Amino acid sequence: MASQVAKQATRQPWYQAGLQKMASIYVNLAGYRKMGLKTDDLISEEDEQVLTALKRLPPQVQYDRVYRIRRATQLSLQHKLLPKNEWIKDEEDEPYLSPILAQVKAEAKERAALDTLAPIKRH
Amino acid sequence: MISRSALSRGSQQALRRAGAAKTVQRAFAAAASEKASYEPTTIAGLKVASRDDHGPVTRLAVVAKAGTRYEPLPGLTVGLEEFAFKNTQKRSALRITRESELLGGQLSSYHTREGLVLQANFLREDLPYFAELLGEVVSETKYTTHEFHEEVEGVIRQKQAKIGNDGVALDAAHAVAFHTGLGNPLYPTPETPVGSYLNEHNVAAFAEAAYTKANIAVVADGASQGGLEKWLEPFFKKVPAQSEGKLSTDAAKYHGGESRIARNGLNSVVIAFPGTALGASSPETAVLIGLLGGESTVKWSPGFSVLSKITAANPGAQAKAANYAYSDCGLFTVQVTGTGSAVSKATQETVKALQSIAEGKVAKEDVVKAIAKAKFNLLSASETSGTGLVHAGASLIGGVKPLQVAEVLKSLESVTADKLTAAAKTLLQGKASVASVGDLHALPFAEDLGLKV
Repeated sequence: MASQVAKQATRQPWYQAGLQKMASIYVNLAGYRKMGLKTDDLISEEDEQVLTALKRLPPQVQYDRVYRIRRATQLSLQHKLLPKNEWIKDEEDEPYLSPILAQVKAEAKERAALDTLAPIKRH
Repeated sequence: MISRSALSRGSQQALRRAGAAKTVQRAFAAAASEKASYEPTTIAGLKVASRDDHGPVTRLAVVAKAGTRYEPLPGLTVGLEEFAFKNTQKRSALRITRESELLGGQLSSYHTREGLVLQANFLREDLPYFAELLGEVVSETKYTTHEFHEEVEGVIRQKQAKIGNDGVALDAAHAVAFHTGLGNPLYPTPETPVGSYLNEHNVAAFAEAAYTKANIAVVADGASQGGLEKWLEPFFKKVPAQSEGKLSTDAAKYHGGESRIARNGLNSVVIAFPGTALGASSPETAVLIGLLGGESTVKWSPGFSVLSKITAANPGAQAKAANYAYSDCGLFTVQVTGTGSAVSKATQETVKALQSIAEGKVAKEDVVKAIAKAKFNLLSASETSGTGLVHAGASLIGGVKPLQVAEVLKSLESVTADKLTAAAKTLLQGKASVASVGDLHALPFAEDLGLKV
């Protein structure tokens, strides 16, 4: 279903524009950018693969991520939002973790596939 | 009672066996001349040395000018060695391992002071796969940050923990003998500060400088010339002919001196003199090593070489003579390792033995024995152990003619007692490099031993 929508979107520009609009409305309603979080900050840490991916982040990126999460926790406690000029903007919300996570998942998948393969003899 | 077929089967088998023995014999006789030395050729701008004994197993190695001598920053050779067979642009490290396991191959990477060796041992028919793999490792390894932290660093730390005092002493002797270049340690000890130099970016830059057609040689043992010509050209196409990156290539200069390092563990003393370079014709050095010996060749006996007699008299000490040959110079060493004061005594007696050789006190039958031992050392190194492969590669990248076994064997026979005496005299007259590692209270100074430093 999702892949069909994506295929359609890449084919027709008007469709893609509409989807983009809906997506931004959704992100705005979800509200995490108003708390200073990026989309990849929402990925749950309680997972071996995510932990491995987090370890592979450069130190500065790791630090910034922890800072954003702590700031959001504080805001949540205080029932506050960030001032509007500090909200995460569209262009700031780049996927910094999900590509690495995809790579870690691909490695695990490859390992599982290679560890269960059965050799076929040539003769 | 015995059936006729059973009888005839026995005779058939006997006949077959006799026939087989004959063919095997013939194969050996034919191979003896072929297997002797590596023949250098050039395939598509790549330096190649090969020999073929038509056996079922092939050893294929890439020897790169990336040993510790050429590393621009400390520790990079070790980093590059551990990055061999890791993720490449085409496949993952795990896939490389599993695929070569399925083919029954062995992959290894190791280094000497001059060369970095990426080696694959495999069944003869798998040459295309492993030629492709080595070409890929050389030209398309990714050098990723996460592999450096997750896999490379840990292995380096484990290998560092294994370095013994004998290794430290040999490194220290090289350091006082050659200062930079060849004086770099073979493996950085845990105390060596390499942290600021050793990272994936520097390793990648070093790989770019070292893995070029000018700086690598492919050595094949047991692969057909036709197969090599067919498969090396396409798979090593991506290796650049030249690179802008620089290796540190200063000509080696012998300095000499003394180095003393206090460390826990065994005591080790290395006495070193200028030795023979790769490809240089100096049969006296090889025979002198045969005469000094050290390592016993028979079980339950210390042996009858000069150093064996000394270690037999000083239980707890072990001594060994060796010549470390490099492309433009060499280091002749006698290393004494062991516990407590036995090392100190054995060292003193070793120097006395060298002096008595220089004075001409060498028995004729000892020279005959030493020549036989030197011949065995030469042949066993080039035939059975892997050192022949590394030597051939090192000669190619160093621009030296590969070892011609038949010629060297002939020259060994021409050594006489007088020549040995002269060789020992020149050694002792020159400056020595002495390294003592361990309990310095028990180990003697070079001057007290009667050596010039």
